[in-house]
Amino acid sequence: MYLIFFSNLVFAFDQEATYLVLNHFDESLPNIDQSLIDNFNNASFNFDESVNLLFDDIDSDNNPASKYMDQIKELGAIHHVNYILLNKIKHIDNRIIMEGLLFNTRSGGLVHRRKINVKNYNNGSVNEISLWVGEIRNKIQKQWEKARESIMFQNPEEISYDKTPMGAALRSLAIPGWGQAYSGNSLSAGLWAALELSLSVAFISSYTNYDTSAKSYLQNLKSYNTTDDEKEVSAYRASAEKDWDDHVMYSKLAIALAGSTITGWVSNSVHAWVFGPRPYTNIYQKGLPQTAVPKG
Amino acid sequence: MFKTINLISIVTFCSGIIFSQVKLDVNTIPTKVDIHLDGVNIGSSPIRNERISPGLHRFEIKKKGYAPLSYDLLVNPAQAVELDFFLNPIYECKFKTDEKGLVFELNGEHRWDVDLVRLRLEAGDHLLRVFKIGEIIDEQIINVDQPKKYNYFLKKPLSAGN
Repeated sequence: MYLIFFSNLVFAFDQEATYLVLNHFDESLPNIDQSLIDNFNNASFNFDESVNLLFDDIDSDNNPASKYMDQIKELGAIHHVNYILLNKIKHIDNRIIMEGLLFNTRSGGLVHRRKINVKNYNNGSVNEISLWVGEIRNKIQKQWEKARESIMFQNPEEISYDKTPMGAALRSLAIPGWGQAYSGNSLSAGLWAALELSLSVAFISSYTNYDTSAKSYLQNLKSYNTTDDEKEVSAYRASAEKDWDDHVMYSKLAIALAGSTITGWVSNSVHAWVFGPRPYTNIYQKGLPQTAVPKG
Repeated sequence: MFKTINLISIVTFCSGIIFSQVKLDVNTIPTKVDIHLDGVNIGSSPIRNERISPGLHRFEIKKKGYAPLSYDLLVNPAQAVELDFFLNPIYECKFKTDEKGLVFELNGEHRWDVDLVRLRLEAGDHLLRVFKIGEIIDEQIINVDQPKKYNYFLKKPLSAGN
């Protein structure tokens, strides 16, 4: 029984959803009537272009909700509708100023009002009317909301970039110079790559020399300990002492070059981040507009 | 008798207040924005089924990272009022020039004469004026659509004509 009662209510509501649409636009929107009919096929719309001056400036009235009661009731009776939907659109400085008013023809009162002030966008007027009527009919399509959101400036945290300073830094940390090349700075990329390559080669060379000297020293030390020949003892001693001096020198050099290579590697990554790709705009002097130039 | 009339008057007055209130819905882009109505925080957007009395009201909408918005609204007697607010983000920008002796002015409010300045700018169009030795030499609109750096250059005279 409740279900039937509820169904009857819904049926009754849908039966009552008849609208007289009064569109007051400063620019013509040729497809707006058909757009409403297509988008809201569970409601009935009548359109009347002749009612123009009735609601000229509603905010200047002391009580607009009741001032037009008689005219609203009369219009409702003439057009056999239950609601009067007034859509007003003005375009000012690339903005859409829309006001929607919904009147009930039974009471003659204003029942719903919506004000929109938004930057103009593609098909914006039709979209805003669809959103307003969709709100009344409780039938809003996602595409209308997405179309409106498309004009909004993005939240800085949601802006994504193709190239970032962090991307450059990570690339340079992997291969010196790659981050600079990624940022489009070929000269810098070449210099960093050459520097790091030179330091790395120098370090490897020093380490190899250190290793050779250390092995040679051990070999000479062993030979020195196993021979009794006076000349050989002298020769092994001299060689071992030279190898010792060399291994100390190459050890210090290898440590210094390893430090330089690592420092240079990290510096190259930091450099890639500091001079990494960031959005910019070049502004060139345009001069003064003609109206602002004083006449001589 | 007098008390009864008083009681009726009070009941009528109170019911008048209750029934004359208008249903208020507030939508914002982005959502979850603090809405202040006449200085009182009425919650985060979207606001649904709030009540508002007819008359003049002030809305203040605030969210970190966005330009705050104030809006005065004359609420007429109706069953419902629905408001849509669109907040503009604020971007961290830099303005740099290598030109010497220039003074910059943005929107007739902010002035600077240094080579590099950090600015927090509302998204959208801004009027830039450039002065040199006290005289205006440039005026143009710059569009701020993301956090970025602006490099300013003077127009160089053509050497061919000299």
